[in-house]
Amino acid sequence: MEELKQEGQIKISEEIDIVTVRKAVRQLSSQVGFSQTDVTRIVTAASELARNIYHYAGHGVMKWRLVSENNDTGIELIFEDSGPGIEDIEKAMDMGYTTGGGLGMGLPGAKRLMDRLNIQSEPGKGTTVTISKWLQGSMHAM
Amino acid sequence: MAGENISVVKVHDVLLVTVPSEPDDETVSVLQDEVLNAMKRYEPKGVVLDISTVETMDSFFARTIAETGAMVRLMGGHTIIAGMKASIAITVTQLGLGLGNTYSALNVEQALEIFEEKVKGS
Repeated sequence: MEELKQEGQIKISEEIDIVTVRKAVRQLSSQVGFSQTDVTRIVTAASELARNIYHYAGHGVMKWRLVSENNDTGIELIFEDSGPGIEDIEKAMDMGYTTGGGLGMGLPGAKRLMDRLNIQSEPGKGTTVTISKWLQGSMHAM
Repeated sequence: MAGENISVVKVHDVLLVTVPSEPDDETVSVLQDEVLNAMKRYEPKGVVLDISTVETMDSFFARTIAETGAMVRLMGGHTIIAGMKASIAITVTQLGLGLGNTYSALNVEQALEIFEEKVKGS
């Protein structure tokens, strides 16, 4: 059972909002008690996904919440947009695959840096990417 | 305001560029322009990018640095990345990124020493 402790959201509609997301996620994950390296991993993953929203959808939102499971605490970040969606999620997870002129590192990179990454997307309707990381790490990976 | 925290200073024959800790994309792009303009203006041996205060390096930032290194190389200079934090080195590597045609040093002092050796050696 996940117990909801704290939550919030940040609007993403301008390029500077990518920095706002980074700063908020840095503060949040530090408060949760993640190591410096894990904080950097989480912030970097958030930066990739916030930029994806800005570039592909124009605007969207990052929702965050603190979660607990099996006596462990984690942070969950949900990136939602109603942009063009992803045609082929499997391809989008391939390193180097891009439809937007980027490096194609965003989604696969974020997956490597976090414990979990889940994508729900429907072409023409939008995309929701959920990532999470846990203090005790790998036991939650899937 | 983009660009406000970027400092580009010529020290001897090298451009010393201080990168702000949490730059937005526009600042990163402005940084590239400023470095290339200063390369033309001062004709230095190369560039030291001091990233010792940088807290986050995502794929856009890393790509722009790698590109800048390649551009500086085409103009006839070398780029040394100085002072990368351990957490950034771990994250950038796990993201699957490299910094292309650049050298690296533990800090600015070592970077300047590398340039001195290069000058002596050439």
